[in-house]
Amino acid sequence: MGRGDGIDFPGELEQMLMLAALRLGEDAYGAAMSEHLEDRVGRRVSRGSVYVTLDRMEAKGWIRSRMSEPRAERGGRPRRLIEVTPEGVALLRRSREALESLWRGVEPLAP
Amino acid sequence: MSNRHTPPPSPADRALPRWVEWIVSMGVPAGARRNGILGDLHEEWVDRLDAEGALRARIALLREAVSVSTRMGFARLTDSGFRHANRAVDARLDGAGSTVSLHFARSGSMLMDTLITNIRYALRRMMRSPFFTLTAIVSLGLGIGANTAIFSMVNAVYFQDRGFTEPEQLVDVYTSSPDFTYGSFSYPDWEDMEAGTTDVFQSAATMRLAFVQIENDDGGIEMLFGEAVSGRWFETLGLRMALGRPLDMSDHVSPGAHPVAVLSYGTWQNRFGADPNVLGQTIRLGGQLYEIVGVTDDSYSGALNGLTPAVILPILQFDELTGLAGGTFDSRGNQSQFVKARLRPGVTMAQAEGALRQVVAANQETYPDDWTVDDSMIAVRTSDVVLHPMVDRYLNQATSVLTLVVAMVLLIACANLASFLLARASDRRKEIAVRLAMGAKRRTLIGQLLTETLILALLGGGLGMLLATGALNFLQTADLPLPIPITYDVSPDRTVLFFSLGVSVLAGMLFGLAPALQATNPAVAPTLRDESAGGGRAKGAALRNVLVAGQVTVSVILLVSAGLFLRSFSAMQRIDLGFDDSDAALVQLVAPATRYDEQQRDQYFADLVTRVEALPNVTSASMISNMPLDQMNTTYAGVEVPGVVPENGLDYHLVDIARVTPGWVETMGHRLASGRGFDDGDVEESQPVAIVNEAFAEFFYGTTDAVGRSFTQNDEEVVVVGVIGNSKVRSMGEADRRWFLRPAAQQGSGIMWLLARGSGDAEALTRDVVRTAQSIDREIMIITAKTMDRHLGAIRLGRVMGAQVIGAFAILALLLASIGLYGVVSYAVSKRAREVGIRMSLGAEPAQVVRMLTGSGLKLVAIGTVIGLGLSALLSQGMSRLLYGVPAMDAITFAAVAVLIGGVSFLASWIPARRATRVSPVTALRAD
Repeated sequence: MGRGDGIDFPGELEQMLMLAALRLGEDAYGAAMSEHLEDRVGRRVSRGSVYVTLDRMEAKGWIRSRMSEPRAERGGRPRRLIEVTPEGVALLRRSREALESLWRGVEPLAP
Repeated sequence: MSNRHTPPPSPADRALPRWVEWIVSMGVPAGARRNGILGDLHEEWVDRLDAEGALRARIALLREAVSVSTRMGFARLTDSGFRHANRAVDARLDGAGSTVSLHFARSGSMLMDTLITNIRYALRRMMRSPFFTLTAIVSLGLGIGANTAIFSMVNAVYFQDRGFTEPEQLVDVYTSSPDFTYGSFSYPDWEDMEAGTTDVFQSAATMRLAFVQIENDDGGIEMLFGEAVSGRWFETLGLRMALGRPLDMSDHVSPGAHPVAVLSYGTWQNRFGADPNVLGQTIRLGGQLYEIVGVTDDSYSGALNGLTPAVILPILQFDELTGLAGGTFDSRGNQSQFVKARLRPGVTMAQAEGALRQVVAANQETYPDDWTVDDSMIAVRTSDVVLHPMVDRYLNQATSVLTLVVAMVLLIACANLASFLLARASDRRKEIAVRLAMGAKRRTLIGQLLTETLILALLGGGLGMLLATGALNFLQTADLPLPIPITYDVSPDRTVLFFSLGVSVLAGMLFGLAPALQATNPAVAPTLRDESAGGGRAKGAALRNVLVAGQVTVSVILLVSAGLFLRSFSAMQRIDLGFDDSDAALVQLVAPATRYDEQQRDQYFADLVTRVEALPNVTSASMISNMPLDQMNTTYAGVEVPGVVPENGLDYHLVDIARVTPGWVETMGHRLASGRGFDDGDVEESQPVAIVNEAFAEFFYGTTDAVGRSFTQNDEEVVVVGVIGNSKVRSMGEADRRWFLRPAAQQGSGIMWLLARGSGDAEALTRDVVRTAQSIDREIMIITAKTMDRHLGAIRLGRVMGAQVIGAFAILALLLASIGLYGVVSYAVSKRAREVGIRMSLGAEPAQVVRMLTGSGLKLVAIGTVIGLGLSALLSQGMSRLLYGVPAMDAITFAAVAVLIGGVSFLASWIPARRATRVSPVTALRAD
């Protein structure tokens, strides 16, 4: 569901997950992405939130997923590999631009 | 990607624990998505196992699995658009198709939309305070579960269709005498009754219970419980057949001439695998072949509620089936038959009773020995009888006590719910006041609040159903020491389901409405001005206080009942039974009269005792015709002693009797007060002798020194050769009962109990005895084989169950009430956090503050306890019939309950109060 009328902006967790997926490339799947967030940003996100958010983004068409081959270290289970769609990338770009334009003028606050 | 993800060797013990799959599966539907999640969890599990060890890894895994399951589950539940979209994703991931349109469903009327919105809102709020939600659901679940379980039993016993056609026309007929109001019929009396009531009864029929020995194809032998019925039994009750024909008058012509059987539905299913060609097959009963002519409908659960027969047979085959000799059809003293009759249309009960009076008058005329002026026949509508009029009094009392108990448990659970809701309501007064001020309709808000409680109640109800089903399953599979195979179908049916649903909804509405009304009270302004800063008490507080006091009251009542039952139970354990109650082997057997004459029978029993005594572990063995404390049987005999006048205008005293073999007194462990036990010299040809107990001796001879005295039984002069101490004969609670023993050699019995004592396991000993009995005669009829513990367990069962069940409910109630109290005090404490902070920073001692905070809670407890004890004193009088050896106003129980509830309450209010004083004053002051 959208968060309001007009232009959709991704939420914070959504942005982070999409960015993590872009950074991890071919290796982007749930466990690796949460670990990446924890390592890079120091943010712990519960597994439930990660999956719900991924599902929501997929429903909105921001990401796509496909199943990998089954893997032994996962008890013979496949990975659900995440790929950001062009629409998702466009949204990320748009929200970055929006934030940057808002930041302009409050430069003194920047470190 | 970090190299922590490089695959470590994964031996079998690193496999993902099964419970993880289980937890995740509750929130995520099966499919590729769940597989992917489980794979992720598996990786994390392996990593953590290496890095943190098994325990920490497990905890982390549990946390993650629960988070996945609840978040995903709730997302699916609360967001239908999300669900639809995900279904499409699932379909693609599972490879069902590459292009599936995402369809956001939005349908239904406004009302439906409102409902869905309300449900989503409620679920979201519930998720936000999981502790509250869980407590409320578990509280309600326990309360509703207890009610559902008890109602399932009540439903099974009281309301189940018993397979009778037009049951309102059926009556039970009993013989009645001053000392036995609802007695059974003898065969000749039944014949007289049937013949004399054709004007009022369309048809009448009789039934006698029979334990029947069946020989299986593999040669194994078992006892079946059967009904031996007269020709019009099926017609009278209007029983439906699943297969074949019912028994009818063609099966009721002459004794021993009708080897036909009707199977019960259960027997047909379980023993014959529901074979459609079962008709015409034969079964071997009591050593004779019987042709199967029919199968009853599965609704028939026996003429005696709960005693479902395995097989229904012609009563004229009774002697052949049971191996008992003679007297079945001609003795008026042999009263073992139940009678049911169907009223002719338009005939009233009064007319039926009039006809019965005429039969009685004729019998009193013709058979003055058997029919005294006080004897009568009475008719009771079958629909007014639950089990048996004599048992119903106890049954109804036990049922009401249990129903009351579970209702009280539910009441406490509901009070908890209401109390929590009130607390939350007052927390949300500001939010609600703002929404009201901004134009929200009060109705809408109440709707939302009620939706929340209803969801809580329904979830609680669901949990309750699960708990009840579990408990009932446990009870049904539990090996209770019942003397007879009582079977009830207590599995929850539609009635039970509706009951639980009704209770849940009612609880939710009733206990959610008050908080909802209060929270949305349109007196908006004062709330907006915010009274929480000062000392103003929310109105909800008063109601909550009443609830807590009420909970304590109910807990006290339940604890007192449980205490009384426990004390009653322990008093019962301490009863001196008057014999050795240590474990032993008990086997009841019949030497069939069809194959044994009296001499052969006595020889068989004598052989058996000799062989059992020769078993390596056996120290002594002996036999008795009626085992003391056997609830299935009481036998008495007429005794005359010159100068001692019988009661009730009888010519003789009715005294309980048993026939025993030599060595009984020693084997059973009776105290021999004077004289001797029976020995091999007491035979048929010698002087008739008896051993009497002290109650017998004192009553008839005025002294316990009775050896050498005599009495008359069956016109025979019997000399007392020994006196034994009093012992329990019929029931544990009875006062000293007169009882005497005769040698089996002088007064034989075709049915005997063998008691064997020895070292080692009594169960094993019992099996040895059975094997020994069968080694002499492979087809000997073994009626029961059990241990002494089990035998005594049967008679203690009622009170054991009473103590355990009510005890469990009382503990449950105490737990729930403590949760309630804890909640109230924590809440009060949190509201007074600022005050506590001020006091603490001004230098108040923590102990002082704790006293202040617990004081108000404990005052409620004190009030509740006093009321509870008072009500208990009133209510316990009503339970007196169910108690033994403990007064209804037992001071110890009452005092113990007061102490217990005081202690638990103190803890429940001390813990949150203590915690409040640990908070630093600065934090407390900052609290809003």
